[in-house]
Amino acid sequence: MGEESFLRIPARLEGMDLILSFVSYLLDAHGCTPQARTQLRMAVEELYVNVTLYAYPSGEEGWAEIRGCVENGTATFRLIDGGVPFNPLEKEDPDIMLSGEERGIGGLGIYMVKTMVDEVEYEYRDGCNQLLLKRKI
Amino acid sequence: MKLTSKKNGNELTVQLSGEMNTMTAPELSALLAKELGGVKKLILDFAECDYVSSAGLRVLLATFKQMSQAKGSMELVNVGVNFRNVLKNTGLDAVFGIF
Repeated sequence: MGEESFLRIPARLEGMDLILSFVSYLLDAHGCTPQARTQLRMAVEELYVNVTLYAYPSGEEGWAEIRGCVENGTATFRLIDGGVPFNPLEKEDPDIMLSGEERGIGGLGIYMVKTMVDEVEYEYRDGCNQLLLKRKI
Repeated sequence: MKLTSKKNGNELTVQLSGEMNTMTAPELSALLAKELGGVKKLILDFAECDYVSSAGLRVLLATFKQMSQAKGSMELVNVGVNFRNVLKNTGLDAVFGIF
């Protein structure tokens, strides 16, 4: 595995810019294509939002950590939190064939992640939720 | 995100510049809440915005429903490669008018 960088911050929505700057910084240092850059930023955004909203009980200050590396033209990011065990990937995919009138307005975030990266996996390890993302850049 | 809006009779055009993400999507929501009354045709110009996350899609879907109920229309124009992919992957390319 290549050299891994990481950033750990309080799991708050306001930390989004820091998390996305981390992603961009790492990808830009490795000559990422604009499309892969956008898709990886968006995938991390969707997963990080979930952590800030659902990982910790209301009123409890938690943490989130992002780890990333690029090796052989593939970026790997891991988003980790110490919250309650929860696998967002188990959420049922939305019906994307529904008309505008029939659709709910939410529920697309996790599904979008699955369409934007090559691999996404969840694991609960050492008391932490860990989401792994891989995509060619 | 920077938003520039122009009203011409019952037509409203909004130009978006920057990224429409979890932090910025509420800005479009707030602008539309203020400006959408009486509008029959809404044009959203994405020439300078090619990053739209699910938070942005939520605002677009809610606005689409609002316009449909008011018997109006909503068009997305100058849609870039990344946003077009998002629309295609979520099936919203068949829902919204995209030009």
